[in-house]
Amino acid sequence: MTLAPVPSPVSSSEIARRYLEAQLAGDRRAALRVVDEGRAAGLEVSDIHLRVVQPAQREVGRLWQENRITVAQEHLATSISQLVLARLYPDLPREAANGKSAIVACVDGEHHDLGARIGADFLEMAGFDVRLLGANVPLKSLLQMVTEVRPHVVGLSASLTYHVPALELAVRGLRELPIAPFNVVVGGHVLEVEPDLGERLGVDVVGTDAGAMVAHVRRILSC
Amino acid sequence: MLNPPDRAFEGLSREVHLVADREGKVQWLDDRARRALEIEVGSSLREIVARGAEEKLAGLLAATDDSANTTWELVVCVGKTQIVLAVRMHVLPGDLLALSGSLVPDDYGTALAQLGSALSEMAGLHRETDRQQRELLRRHEELLRLNRERRENDKAVVALHAEIDQKDGSLRAASDVKVRLIANVTHELRTPLNSILGLTKLLLSRADGELTAEQETQLSFIKQSTEALYALVDDLLDVSKLEAGEASLHVTKLPGVELMAALRGMMRPLVTTDAVELVVEEPRDQVVLETDDGKVAQILRNLVSNALKFTDEGEVRVSLAACGDGEASFEVSDTGVGIPPGDIDRVFEEFFQVDHPRQRHLRGTGLGLAVSRHLAERLGGSLTVRSELGKGSTFTLRIPTKHPEVTEMDALSERSREVAPGAQPILVVEDDRQTLFLYEKYLRGSGFHVLPARSVDEARAMMEKIRPCAIVLDVMLDGEATWSFLRDLKSNPRTQDIPALVVTVTKGEEKARALGADEFLVKPMDRDWLLKKLRSLARVRDVRTVLVVDDDDVARYLVRKQLEGSEFLIIEASGGEEGIHLARTAHPDVMFLDFVMPGMSAFDVIDELKRDPATRSIPIIIHTSKSLADEERKRLEQEASAILSKQSLSREIAISRIREVLQQAGIGKNGGDKRDRTNE
Repeated sequence: MTLAPVPSPVSSSEIARRYLEAQLAGDRRAALRVVDEGRAAGLEVSDIHLRVVQPAQREVGRLWQENRITVAQEHLATSISQLVLARLYPDLPREAANGKSAIVACVDGEHHDLGARIGADFLEMAGFDVRLLGANVPLKSLLQMVTEVRPHVVGLSASLTYHVPALELAVRGLRELPIAPFNVVVGGHVLEVEPDLGERLGVDVVGTDAGAMVAHVRRILSC
Repeated sequence: MLNPPDRAFEGLSREVHLVADREGKVQWLDDRARRALEIEVGSSLREIVARGAEEKLAGLLAATDDSANTTWELVVCVGKTQIVLAVRMHVLPGDLLALSGSLVPDDYGTALAQLGSALSEMAGLHRETDRQQRELLRRHEELLRLNRERRENDKAVVALHAEIDQKDGSLRAASDVKVRLIANVTHELRTPLNSILGLTKLLLSRADGELTAEQETQLSFIKQSTEALYALVDDLLDVSKLEAGEASLHVTKLPGVELMAALRGMMRPLVTTDAVELVVEEPRDQVVLETDDGKVAQILRNLVSNALKFTDEGEVRVSLAACGDGEASFEVSDTGVGIPPGDIDRVFEEFFQVDHPRQRHLRGTGLGLAVSRHLAERLGGSLTVRSELGKGSTFTLRIPTKHPEVTEMDALSERSREVAPGAQPILVVEDDRQTLFLYEKYLRGSGFHVLPARSVDEARAMMEKIRPCAIVLDVMLDGEATWSFLRDLKSNPRTQDIPALVVTVTKGEEKARALGADEFLVKPMDRDWLLKKLRSLARVRDVRTVLVVDDDDVARYLVRKQLEGSEFLIIEASGGEEGIHLARTAHPDVMFLDFVMPGMSAFDVIDELKRDPATRSIPIIIHTSKSLADEERKRLEQEASAILSKQSLSREIAISRIREVLQQAGIGKNGGDKRDRTNE
């Protein structure tokens, strides 16, 4: 009898460090290799999302803030993360469909869609039927799509306080749609800067933890 | 040496210089900074920095080291546009910061942003494609599942059918047993009933002495009861026969007028009271019936006697009218008590009787209407009733004027008259039309052609005209007559090689084999078996024998050579006597006869052959080099099948003539006769 090879213990922070290294070097092959190694060593897809890509991406932002990297490097690093998420997408461990649908979008003018993407992936894994509208969604398009699809929940993402006005417009537009009521949740980096935003807009806020976001959405939809 | 003035670079430079304090307040700036950033001394850099870059600006303003080698990327807003500014810093005395900024070209920044969003969109597309692929996969699986379910359903349906077949089989068997039992019992009952009836009549006739009044009354009761019982037994027998499908059909052609006249006479005795008048009308239309008139009469008699039973006064009326589509309708209407609406559907059930005071003292068998409906169906028609309680009932018998079996039989005979080229004729001797239809159905498209004969006499007549390649014989037909037909067939040298296939419902294989039957089968008949046997039997006849009678060795040689390698087997005779002998012993299928031979003329040979039944039907092809006189030609045309001149003899003509002649005789093989003929 042969035993399946036991993956050597590996810390996700170590993987995240090597991943960041590859990102900053602009080496997408190396980045993918690191992710593959992490998975082979026993990391779940959700671990790659939350414990590798997300922290690395946050670090990239910090490095720019600290003037350690240029805008070009930041873009390059982000594009590598896009590639990784796209690569992981078909392999998402999906639960059986729960019959609920969701629309996830970045507000008008918001170009940082990695957070929204991770959130959408987590909803899919939980069995939701998800439409990800991506970055910089004009309000009109968002309202039109919601009217057509009639989702159970709409998730909006914003990273910078700069986008708060657009977020307010979006929430108000959704509330005023002449269709049956549905849930709106707001997430993203912006909430770390403005924690009382949810109260002000009258919507649920879910921060930047995709796992917590899914748990919250499941609770409000009772599924 | 060129020494350009400083302002020559004013419009070209993308450098801005300014001095700010640690709070970001501008203390000094050059013209380019003033224009490009739209600020003045006293403005704060914090006012123009873009959202999200505030912290970074704070970092720059707080920096202590000379960062001449560090470039700070700042995003500032000028009006509504964002400008990326690469800044280098030097700390001046008084804790002021000298800032030298370089405007990053707009298109560079825009291109980066465009690339970013293009990539993000591609990721989105990828995601959507994948999502659709998964949806397709899900549908595919759904289809597979449905397919699987359907297959399982199919299996269940098949199983169900098998079960139904089984049930059907056992029901049929049970029904058969019932029918046979009834038939036997009724038959057995009739014999003693006959005796009782006969003896009672004898006693009543006082042949054996005088009776007391009491004895006479008792005997009358016995007689009445026996007659009632007898009627019941008769009806039962009818029902069982009809259910077994055994009621044979006796079709005659009869004008409606005659039928109605006969009915009138037949039914008059049924009327027992003056209060009811029986009217049998003249037919309203000219109708000629070609059906079993006995059964029609039986139905109408049942209906009339039924009507009379339930009519106290008024009339019972019988009428006949044509109703289009080759159908005729008889109506029997009365002015009697009528049938309660609730019972109207049940009056045709066996043993059903309307619960009516009248019914109770008029005991019937309860079978009359059931039998009538069965009979109507046997005639290819229907029997229906409409009734109004208290006013009377009308029974309508609607039947095809020409019985469907007659129609089909006509078509079958019509078809049999034209043997398809190449089809092998099979003579089927069978009295039951439906069985004949079955044979035709079974053999349709098989290369065999059914020649139906419904009696032994018909079969004999047909054998005179045509030589079938096999005979199927139903031995139940006419009993002994069939056996003797088989005996004759097999003892006649001319026909004994025609394969005979005996089909029967009874045992008798030994007898059949003894009389020369080639195959024996107890019904029910199986199509595959029948085809297999016919094919193996008919193959025996594939080789055709041609007898060549000619005194000229060369002429015989020529015919032999011409037919070499064909399907024909050649036997030869060098003179008339020998030819006749061979014709009797070797049973050739066709004979080539030289017209002019020493000693015996062709006419002599023909006369001799026609005299003998064994050789009478051998087709003869006259083979001659003599130009025939008109009279000779005329006579030959009557007695021979074809005339062939020796001069024109060729392989094609010889073969096509033989085939043609065999075809006419009904034993031809197929094989492009038409093509050969056009070659002549």
